[in-house]
Amino acid sequence: MNFMTSHPMIESYFDALATQLADLPAAKRDEVIRELRAHVADRLEQIAVPTTDDCRSVLAAMGTPVEIARQYRLELVLSRSAWKISPWSLLRTLFRWTLTGIQGYVIFIVAMIGYTVGMCLYVTALLKPLFPHNVGFFWSEQGVNLAHFPDPPLGTEMLGPYYIPFAVFFGFLWTLGTTLTIRYIIRRFGKLKQKVAGMAVSA
Amino acid sequence: MVLLRKEPKSEPTEKWEAQLRKGCLELAILACLWEQRLYGLEILRALEQNSNLVLAEGTVYPILARLKEDGLLQSEWVEADAGHPRKYYWLTAQGRQRVVSMALFWNGFSANLNLLLKPVLNGKGRA
Repeated sequence: MNFMTSHPMIESYFDALATQLADLPAAKRDEVIRELRAHVADRLEQIAVPTTDDCRSVLAAMGTPVEIARQYRLELVLSRSAWKISPWSLLRTLFRWTLTGIQGYVIFIVAMIGYTVGMCLYVTALLKPLFPHNVGFFWSEQGVNLAHFPDPPLGTEMLGPYYIPFAVFFGFLWTLGTTLTIRYIIRRFGKLKQKVAGMAVSA
Repeated sequence: MVLLRKEPKSEPTEKWEAQLRKGCLELAILACLWEQRLYGLEILRALEQNSNLVLAEGTVYPILARLKEDGLLQSEWVEADAGHPRKYYWLTAQGRQRVVSMALFWNGFSANLNLLLKPVLNGKGRA
């Protein structure tokens, strides 16, 4: 790694690419970036004394990080298992963003709330057979209550034993919805980062 | 990479060309690897010399990744004597079979299409 291959323009390009590929498993993402870095290094090695302009044209010939990530998505669409759907991995990615500013922090909190609601629904489904009077869909003037200990919650239990499939179904729906929302935000956020990187490249 | 264009082309023509390039790129990449192991930039150079299939260099790597996922290619990082390690690709037995069948299909397909295009290229039947 010489001065040029660690040029800030190249670093911001690969940072943007890493963000675009955030939903690829870490090992695969690192492999992609390692290979494309080797390509950039090869191209720069062909030039006796590479300048910042050479860096810019080598990166321009590669295509934008958005375009490359889009191609990876298209090409690897058949092996969808390669793409992250695990809430844990997504939360880890988001947690790294919380360090980058308020935007990342807000997204992380929203994701935490989403997964917590999903998990609560699953937990209440598990508890319903053990505590049928304390857990359920209790409707009262104060609103909906799912569980209360040691006394039962206020209101009337609406679903009885049907609460279990209800909670499992909506728990799944809530978790899936949160996951898809985060993935969407990751892409949008990534584009934002790409714009910043693009400004650095054209500066 | 420079794509030479003799005359400006209409949007539908460009779209058709892009689709044709994309469709042929997979065969071209597999064909490059028929005789030897190559790393990404060497594959690009071979494509540059023999075709104008590649518009953005970075787009070759996702195709290589998919061909590997499909079991047509295998890859390995190799340390260079000087410089940095490079990821070499080579055809698997399945990949060799696939490229042969693709090449045979292409041969018949292009021969038939060339016959069909002959009068067009000779300027016959011009409106």
